[in-house]
Amino acid sequence: MLSRVAYSMYQLGQHIERAENVTRILDVNYRMGFEVEYFSELDVWLPMLAITRSRDLFDSLYDEVNEENIYDFLLLSDKNPDSVLSRLHAAREAARSMRERISEEMWNHLNQAHLGLANIRLNQVTYAGSYTFNQRIQTICNTFHGLAAHTMVHGKAWKFLRLGIFLDRALMSSRILEIKYHIVLPDADEVGRPLDIHQWQALLRSVSGYEAYRRMYKAKIIPAQVINLILFNQDFPRSMRYCMEQVTRHLQALGKTHQGQHRVYTQAKLFLDELRGNERGEIILREGLQQHLQTTQQRCVDLQQQIMANYFDLLIVMDDQGHELSLGSQMQQQQQQRDMMP
Amino acid sequence: MSVISSDYNSTAFFDEMFDADGHPRTHYKKLFSRFLNTSQDELAQIQRMADISLLNQGITFTVYSDVRGTEKIFPFDLIPRIITAKEWHHVETGVQQRLHALNLFLHDLYHHQSILKDAIVPTDMILNSPLFCREMSGLDTPGGMYTHIGGIDLIRGEQGEFMVLEDNLRSPSGVSYVIENRLIMGRVMPKLLQQHRVRSVDQYPQMLFNALSSLSQADNPTLAVLTPGTYNAAYFEHAFLADRMGVELVEGSDLIVIQDVLYMKTTDGLRRIDVLYRRIDDDFLDPLVFNPNSLLGVAGMMHAYRAGNLALANAPGAGVADDKAIYAYTPDIIRYYLNEEPILPIVPTYLCVRDEDRKYVLEHLEELVVKPTDASGGYGLLVGSHASKHELIEFRAKINKTPAAYIAQPIQQLSTHPTRVEQHGVEGLFPRHVDLRPFAVCSADGSVNVLPGGLTRVALPQGSLVVNSSQGGGSKDTWVLYDTPYTGEGRYA
Repeated sequence: MLSRVAYSMYQLGQHIERAENVTRILDVNYRMGFEVEYFSELDVWLPMLAITRSRDLFDSLYDEVNEENIYDFLLLSDKNPDSVLSRLHAAREAARSMRERISEEMWNHLNQAHLGLANIRLNQVTYAGSYTFNQRIQTICNTFHGLAAHTMVHGKAWKFLRLGIFLDRALMSSRILEIKYHIVLPDADEVGRPLDIHQWQALLRSVSGYEAYRRMYKAKIIPAQVINLILFNQDFPRSMRYCMEQVTRHLQALGKTHQGQHRVYTQAKLFLDELRGNERGEIILREGLQQHLQTTQQRCVDLQQQIMANYFDLLIVMDDQGHELSLGSQMQQQQQQRDMMP
Repeated sequence: MSVISSDYNSTAFFDEMFDADGHPRTHYKKLFSRFLNTSQDELAQIQRMADISLLNQGITFTVYSDVRGTEKIFPFDLIPRIITAKEWHHVETGVQQRLHALNLFLHDLYHHQSILKDAIVPTDMILNSPLFCREMSGLDTPGGMYTHIGGIDLIRGEQGEFMVLEDNLRSPSGVSYVIENRLIMGRVMPKLLQQHRVRSVDQYPQMLFNALSSLSQADNPTLAVLTPGTYNAAYFEHAFLADRMGVELVEGSDLIVIQDVLYMKTTDGLRRIDVLYRRIDDDFLDPLVFNPNSLLGVAGMMHAYRAGNLALANAPGAGVADDKAIYAYTPDIIRYYLNEEPILPIVPTYLCVRDEDRKYVLEHLEELVVKPTDASGGYGLLVGSHASKHELIEFRAKINKTPAAYIAQPIQQLSTHPTRVEQHGVEGLFPRHVDLRPFAVCSADGSVNVLPGGLTRVALPQGSLVVNSSQGGGSKDTWVLYDTPYTGEGRYA
């Protein structure tokens, strides 16, 4: 298939996954917020910006860190390329640029979602609490996954879509786990006490993992087990290991036409083999969760870069702001063609 | 209450549905009674269904007035336009004749130029035309064809006879709407469609695929559609055609030319393209040969083309034959190459570059439509009867300054068709002006296939004669009937 289309498929997967995960990150917050008397407003919202790596952009757009601004920034703002609406808009545009490649159902779904959200206002989101909005987004994203799984040919395009989804999910599951590091407990004595447990529980819920946890590890929340579920479980669809199983499988199925593609596969396989080992939650907690997560995330990012370089073969020249350099004149030339509406 | 208002009053000389006495024409009777028995509410509801369906499917084009781009649907009118088998036969043979002749004309212009030597068409008009492509001189195209996909704009004359208003020999757009309109119609008014014996239109992608394949010597040639990209207003159609033909939709950045062979970049390496249905202008095809700033084509494309390793549809330089000034010569062109009388007449045309014509035009500006010779989409034209004093003065100056850039024609009334619109606050069926753009595909063996029907465009504002979508035009499903009559209710259900 066309390299550009492969890349668009991959990006489509990323956009959908990112949109969903931003709402999941906010969900953790919403749930932890029930214990809000322990925290100042800053304590609650700053971690959101840390996890989404968007503090600088936020500060350039807003004067104050508060609920309203955070919601606007993470959910709606078109100035934030990672906001939920920006991502869904980008997903819809990507789908539009290759609608002959995805199923009609997938396109209709994304297009309708886009139309339904186009004019939404902040007060409509905050009125009922962001929970309802977040649920709506998560339904949109998971309906998309269902449609992709059941209406699209599981050929190359689909595999690139899955690569995009699972690599981003791996990264984001790890970042959600990181919340535990950013939202600090009032004091060290709280470790293992109700508030601490409550936070782990909220975190589990936000990755739809609370039920899975109960099935596998019974009702008692043990932090090391939560880490085992999110990083090492082989059956839980948002775990790091599950994601890497998928990534490795799809890389293998896509084939390795040249040396570089072979290297990408080897790299992913190595990573997976480590995740397949013993569940090391306890050791990780002892040695430092944050440090471990940083290493893990770096491996995901490396893998993404390797895939970019070895599968998509793009020549994109960026300007200082990180925008594609020729995009403006491209648009202009595209519009000025004689080929127009009848 | 009926939706056809009692004061339905077509001021034009020819209405598609009603004869001069106000009775529905025979082939419209069934349709007439259907709408006679339809309430305003029901019609509004069906219209909503159709509009939502179009919007949800993203059958839209983008208006670039804000950052994210507002997307609009191409307004779809529920009342289909019906053409009888006999009328269609006439149109079809007329379009075929025209495309035969224009392809011969283009071949001649880029080879022996006998039509110029015989002074049938003025040499300077061709050689000075910006659309004349010197790079095509002496080059043999597959089957000697240049325009593989053509769209001929037709209107009705006073007696209802079809006349040619314009030829589109470069990238005629709109065929995707012909197919989509039929799909929508089948969805929202299935019975009505079944009650008529209507010729199908969904074979077009296959027709196009076959014609494009015929341009290559390869056994199983690889085709691709080249689009400018998603910001082009006709993008939907490009994606639609690529999808329905099962071929790749490529952009310039997907392409590379190596040793005079065109390839597309795929995840499995480079793949050769044999035939490219390009929907970008000549000027943007190849920055090495044409506009050096082009970001839409690919360097080396013309070399691949000249080397015979690539077929382009339509061929570069085809536009010289659809110039609005050349249009005036098309009856002579048909006579010259085919030794036949034109089946479809053209509208009388004054070339402002001729002294006597210009004199007439300047004296009768109020009765004429003035058109720039190289513009499309209904842009830059003047309808004398509707123009302000200021506009008339402005056009007089323009014509005097660059006479060769303008032609003029008597204002054509265009036939009317009942159309669902709001007029003076009342919703109902009112007469609106329509045209017809049939689409034809030409194969390397010289055969010309015309898709039954074509795009009927309708000018939605009251009194408007401009049917282009950019100027408030919509479209209708166009039904060409089989010649054997329908024999009983439900027979085709």
